[in-house]
Amino acid sequence: MSAAESATAIHRNQVDLLDFIDWSGVECLNQSSSHPLPNALKQGYREDEGLNLESDADEQLLIYIPFTQVIKLHSIVVMGSEEDGPKTVKLFANREHMGFSNVSDFPPSDTVVLSQDNLKGKPVVVKYVKFQNVRSLTIFIEDNQSGLEITKVQKIALYGSTVETTDMKGLKKIEDH
Amino acid sequence: MVLEATMICIDNSEWMRNGDYGPSRFQAQADAVNLICGAKTQSNPENTVGVLTMAGKGVRVLVTPTSDLGKILACMHGLEIGGEMNLAAGIQVAQLALKHRQNKKQQQRIIVFAGSPVKHEKKTLEMIGKKLKKNSVTLDIVNFGEDDEGKTEKLEALLAAVNNNDTSHIVHIPAGPNALSDILLSTPIFTGDGEGGSGFAASAAAAAAGGISGFEFGVDPNLDPELALALRVSMEEERARQEAAAKKAAEESSKQEKGGEEQDATMTERASEGASEADNKKNEFLALAMSMDEPASSQDLQDTEMSDAAAEDPELALALQLSVQDSAKDSSSQADMSKLLADQSFVSSILASLPGVDPNDPSVKEVLASMQSQSEPQQKQDEDKAPKEEDKK
Repeated sequence: MSAAESATAIHRNQVDLLDFIDWSGVECLNQSSSHPLPNALKQGYREDEGLNLESDADEQLLIYIPFTQVIKLHSIVVMGSEEDGPKTVKLFANREHMGFSNVSDFPPSDTVVLSQDNLKGKPVVVKYVKFQNVRSLTIFIEDNQSGLEITKVQKIALYGSTVETTDMKGLKKIEDH
Repeated sequence: MVLEATMICIDNSEWMRNGDYGPSRFQAQADAVNLICGAKTQSNPENTVGVLTMAGKGVRVLVTPTSDLGKILACMHGLEIGGEMNLAAGIQVAQLALKHRQNKKQQQRIIVFAGSPVKHEKKTLEMIGKKLKKNSVTLDIVNFGEDDEGKTEKLEALLAAVNNNDTSHIVHIPAGPNALSDILLSTPIFTGDGEGGSGFAASAAAAAAGGISGFEFGVDPNLDPELALALRVSMEEERARQEAAAKKAAEESSKQEKGGEEQDATMTERASEGASEADNKKNEFLALAMSMDEPASSQDLQDTEMSDAAAEDPELALALQLSVQDSAKDSSSQADMSKLLADQSFVSSILASLPGVDPNDPSVKEVLASMQSQSEPQQKQDEDKAPKEEDKK
């Protein structure tokens, strides 16, 4: 199946969107202060199996990631352990400042149920058409694999491509010859 | 200087009529709320504070989070006491109000005044606490007033459920001589999460403790430089004015000994010198009159005052010396002086020449009346003194 084939490998022109995350606006609700979001998102931290993002009061997590550029999201990778890794993950595109109370107010752009393969690193392809013009992404982790009190996420990676927005830093002054 | 949106939950239940926290529990609470609002807005101008009441007919939001201190203080007026406090509903409504804050970057904080018994179960409160923690809302609890069994335990459980890294606090305030707001000043509710306190809280706490304020005039120059500067300038102006008045008084008494003839000249001089305000003039004249009308008795007092002033001004020192010399010799001329002053018409003519002093002004009239009554015994005193001195010579 073509869908399954493309899911096994990252598409050629999809890049890791880590470079386009606007870190100043990244937020995570219900994270444990000793195990915060950078453990799962940042380069180096996310590779370390000992460092996880953990939930605090209950098993849900709400992650808000703004981007510096408009991007198209192709697929995501969510890694965790077998028992307390996330199960149902809902993705919302371009919704600012969501809270746990309004996750059910509007339908998610995509819903992903993570299998054990996914938790080992297999990327999940999202509904590409819904993520053509993404300025910010909200990831709502609704529950975990075994229904435990605490959800642990080892790695979150986003793959996609950028829309042709002007990178102002790349603009060069025209030299008069 | 954390950017924060705060909702304050006030307990306006029947239990607040009690007077064990003077003047009444409710009033003590209101004072505390005023203080908190001031501290929050001072520590960061973008902070917002809102207020709601938990008792009465039901939970009612008096003002949604705003940085306008006047609005907050105004809504505290005319609050009625009655009913029972509904802590759970109060906290939940506060959370909702915070959710709809304008600036989403603000941290959310709820401050609860729990003065009456808590009728909710511990479980309910723990669940509420968890929900607050999940939505990253911090909670401060002020436990005062009624202390029935289990209330402290329940509130501690609520705090434990909410607390995330010591950002939430609980304070127990027993009834006593100190005001509720004073005790609150030293708690982490005011001093923030180990920031070391906003300047407002620090200076207010120092002032409340009756000690020396850490800052001049009790205003932190870092927080409000313009106000601190204005206060300093006006204080210096006042000091300069007082010195000038003291100087004139000293000069006046020294010239007075030299001769009554100069009286007119001096008075008109002073009149023409023309200080700006009417009050100023009046004060100076009153001071002068009082200094002249008790020359013998208050000489010592004046000397000490003058010696203080003289330390700063060499001219003044010279005048002082002269006055001291002259006063030793010449008490008889003082009698003349007093007689002159006693002359009502003379005085009122002088007064009329002074700009801004109204001879019909009651305070001026009082002084004149007192002068008159004093000048008679004064004359007798001086006359007694004069023969004695002559005897000595």
